[in-house]
Amino acid sequence: MRQRRVPYWLLGPGLLWLFIFFVVPMYFMGELALRSGSLTTGFAFDWAWSNFPDSLSGNTEQILRSVYYAGVATILALLIAYPLAYAIAFRAGRFKLLLLFAVIAPFFTTYLIRTIAWKTILSDSSPIVDVLQTLALVPEDGRVLATSGAVIAGLTYNFLPFMILPLYANLERLDLRLIEAARDLYSSSRQAFLRVTLPLTMPGIVAGVLLTFIPAFGDYINAQLLGGTQQAMVGNVIQSLYLTQRDYPEAAALSFLMMALILAVVTLYIRFAGTGAFMGDADEGKA
Amino acid sequence: MSEERKRSRLWPALMAVAVLAAALALAACGGDDDTVGGGGNDDVETAQAGPVRGDLTISNWPGYIDPGNNGTIAEFQEETGVNVNYIEDINDNEAFFGKVQPQLEQGQSGGRSIFVLTDWMAKQMYDLGYLQEIDHDDLSTVFQNMLPSLESPAFDPERRFSVPWQSGMTGVWVDTAKAPNIRSVNDLFDPQYRGQVTMLTEMRDTVPLVMKGDGVDPAEATNEDWMNTIDKIKQAADTGQIRRFTGNDYTEDLTAGNVVAAIGWSGDASLIGNDNAEWRMPAQGCMLWSDNMVIPVGAPNTAAALGFMDFVYEPQVQADITEYVNYVSPVDGVKDILANRDAALANDQLIFPSAEFQRNCSTQDSPPDIEPVNEAWQDVITG
Amino acid sequence: MAALSRPWAWLRRNGLPIYAGFAVAYMLIPIVVIAVFSFGDTPRDRLTFGLDDGFTLEYWESAFAIRELNDALFTSLRLAALSTVVSTVLGTLMALALVRHRFRARRAANLLIVIPMATPEVVIGAALLSMFIYYTLALGFTTLLIAHIMFSISFVVVVVRSRLIGFDRSLEEAAADLGATPFTAFRTVTLPLLAPGIMAAALLAFALSIDDFVISNFNSGIEVTFPLYVYGVSLRGIPVQVNVLATMLFAVTVLAIALVLVQQRRAERLAARVSEPQQPPIPAPGAAATS
Repeated sequence: MRQRRVPYWLLGPGLLWLFIFFVVPMYFMGELALRSGSLTTGFAFDWAWSNFPDSLSGNTEQILRSVYYAGVATILALLIAYPLAYAIAFRAGRFKLLLLFAVIAPFFTTYLIRTIAWKTILSDSSPIVDVLQTLALVPEDGRVLATSGAVIAGLTYNFLPFMILPLYANLERLDLRLIEAARDLYSSSRQAFLRVTLPLTMPGIVAGVLLTFIPAFGDYINAQLLGGTQQAMVGNVIQSLYLTQRDYPEAAALSFLMMALILAVVTLYIRFAGTGAFMGDADEGKA
Repeated sequence: MSEERKRSRLWPALMAVAVLAAALALAACGGDDDTVGGGGNDDVETAQAGPVRGDLTISNWPGYIDPGNNGTIAEFQEETGVNVNYIEDINDNEAFFGKVQPQLEQGQSGGRSIFVLTDWMAKQMYDLGYLQEIDHDDLSTVFQNMLPSLESPAFDPERRFSVPWQSGMTGVWVDTAKAPNIRSVNDLFDPQYRGQVTMLTEMRDTVPLVMKGDGVDPAEATNEDWMNTIDKIKQAADTGQIRRFTGNDYTEDLTAGNVVAAIGWSGDASLIGNDNAEWRMPAQGCMLWSDNMVIPVGAPNTAAALGFMDFVYEPQVQADITEYVNYVSPVDGVKDILANRDAALANDQLIFPSAEFQRNCSTQDSPPDIEPVNEAWQDVITG
Repeated sequence: MAALSRPWAWLRRNGLPIYAGFAVAYMLIPIVVIAVFSFGDTPRDRLTFGLDDGFTLEYWESAFAIRELNDALFTSLRLAALSTVVSTVLGTLMALALVRHRFRARRAANLLIVIPMATPEVVIGAALLSMFIYYTLALGFTTLLIAHIMFSISFVVVVVRSRLIGFDRSLEEAAADLGATPFTAFRTVTLPLLAPGIMAAALLAFALSIDDFVISNFNSGIEVTFPLYVYGVSLRGIPVQVNVLATMLFAVTVLAIALVLVQQRRAERLAARVSEPQQPPIPAPGAAATS
């Protein structure tokens, strides 16, 4: 009898914390979104449903832009991370741990500082930009900073570890004998990759994609530091609305919409693959 | 199997209901106000004077005081025994307001006894009931030494809640090596400088300045004038003419060589690591502003706060500050002291501007109907 | 034919490691830049990221000269330490429950744990702020701590969980066979073996807390953490000491991880040696002759 209650005691404190400080605030955010007014007159609760469509229509450009930036950054991160994770998992030998560490290392310098470092590295007068100009990746009279490219590059860089780690975790558990078997059955290495490796590493890819896209979508630091007047993302708008304009209802409505959008994507995925797959093991979903 | 399915389908629904119920319960047991926010109470406190001792926490803009073991704070600590916690956390009036507003609403200052805010923000806070009033009798040195021109500003005619810290001018910083011909705000809209120009996020700096470029007097501008100017700026931003809207960080862009011109503040020379950068008085005039010390509601140890205000109005102390900060001092007699130390400083028009130099300048003001203008402006600077 | 395929074959064999090398170098660029420029001699005590003025150790010597920076760093460390302890404990307990027990609310619990990880920081920060505004709570260290613990728990659960899943229960069963109560078995067998996973989770929680900017920005009120301080000064010129301290922080974290890894290696090697079969004794010369 006691045995059955044990998990609840173990889970209790943590879940309670998450409930009080994650779920409940979401409720309050929703509640705030239904108020109207201003800081000087006070925010009165009057079922202001119009805040939702208003915030959506007023910020469509930024929302779409965020999807675009986060999307491109995610794809780039995937392209960069997959071969890297593969190399670390199968070709690193003694250096595996060292390389893994090198990959996570950026984590340990403050997010801000490394983005500011990029801002300096990519400033108009830096030698790196000169090199890029000679390589014709950047127009002669163009610049890197304060462009969409800079923001996407920043997003890609900052969220690369989030892509590498799930990919690596997944690749590491790959049974190489399966690939061997495929080769024994006369498939070329390309076929083996497409038909065996890729499908088997799909859970890792999806986890990596989600873990990269979602925070990138909501990020505003990169846009603020590396972008210009035309690069604002949803996060910038929300931050401005909350902290500078103090238009709490619109801010809350927009945050809520953003949250709903992401939840829809995640729920779809969880429905599809089970929470176990999201959490990293392939067979828990069947439980 | 189906039994399990049924149960597992019911569970999420049950959980959702439970969650909502709990949330509603929590909401019910807190916050009985139907209205959140809306300004403080009607009685305004006056800051209490008293023996100057104990702890004092000050919030100020970065780089606004001479630092180090020989700096003003250290001197004050030595002389009075007050333990000062000097925090440079104000980078933008609005942003700082956003940070402290929830607390001020509750009558708490978050441990701060002095904020340094620009005129209009000081007024905004006062109107919301977030500031304490100051008794002139408690600040003899201040009102003895204050420059006459600052004694009765429009936003606080009787100096009831603000004491000037430093004043300054908003104009145009120019990289004279790359763009020697920029002499007016309108030059910033010149296509040849596309993408190499920045403007300030501070609405009351940028918009009136551009307005003056068009010949409109900000003091008499209508809401429509404000909106038109904002429109003009928005278009420039959309076409990429304006690279960014900045706070204090325009200095970084100038240093890095990212821009050739930036709307900026007169005293920031020490922060710009570009020897070719020069602050220029725009042809149509600059914007004048001051930052003021204010005492928030709920401030602990107001006696020490008042003591500090008096202390920094001593001409010797003020000279130290001005020498380092390079802004316009509100204290009489500083020029003579500095003339002995550094003649160049004493003759610097940016630190001791003559009336002639400032003849076309306007003071900062708010638009007649703030909200729609503010909203439009936020739209522009957020991008 | 052969001449063409040789460089191609070489590329195919070594292309991947070479690429990996470049990729890793790319990841480390900012770190190198930060470390290098902590030695830069700048004329105005503010970072110009230009090395034209030469190298100096002066900022390393005066690394703790800026009081606000020290205060901010100290606040961050305090916050991270507290948040790590609480979130690691809560998260480990939850992980144990999720892996070791079957119960009805499992799906829901999983969901509740996973969703915060899938929520952008802006939304979490904003939601918390909404609640604090509603209750008109004073923002400060406490609200920061609450927020940090909250977003760390999920990550701790994931890390410890993955470690638990591969856990060999037979050792615990052996302990039980030898008469240990479940609690003793947990204390003496499970916990030590789980230690590396818990340490990894704790390190992750610590890193997340120290690094957090967005959520802290929304909920700190006037409390200043290290990232918030950097944000503030970045607008006016970063003091070189920031780079120095960042490099220091980085070095310390590297060392901590290295230590954990070395310990882990050592533990694994020890475990392997213990379970190795005993070498058969060398037979006496006489015995060999008789067979």
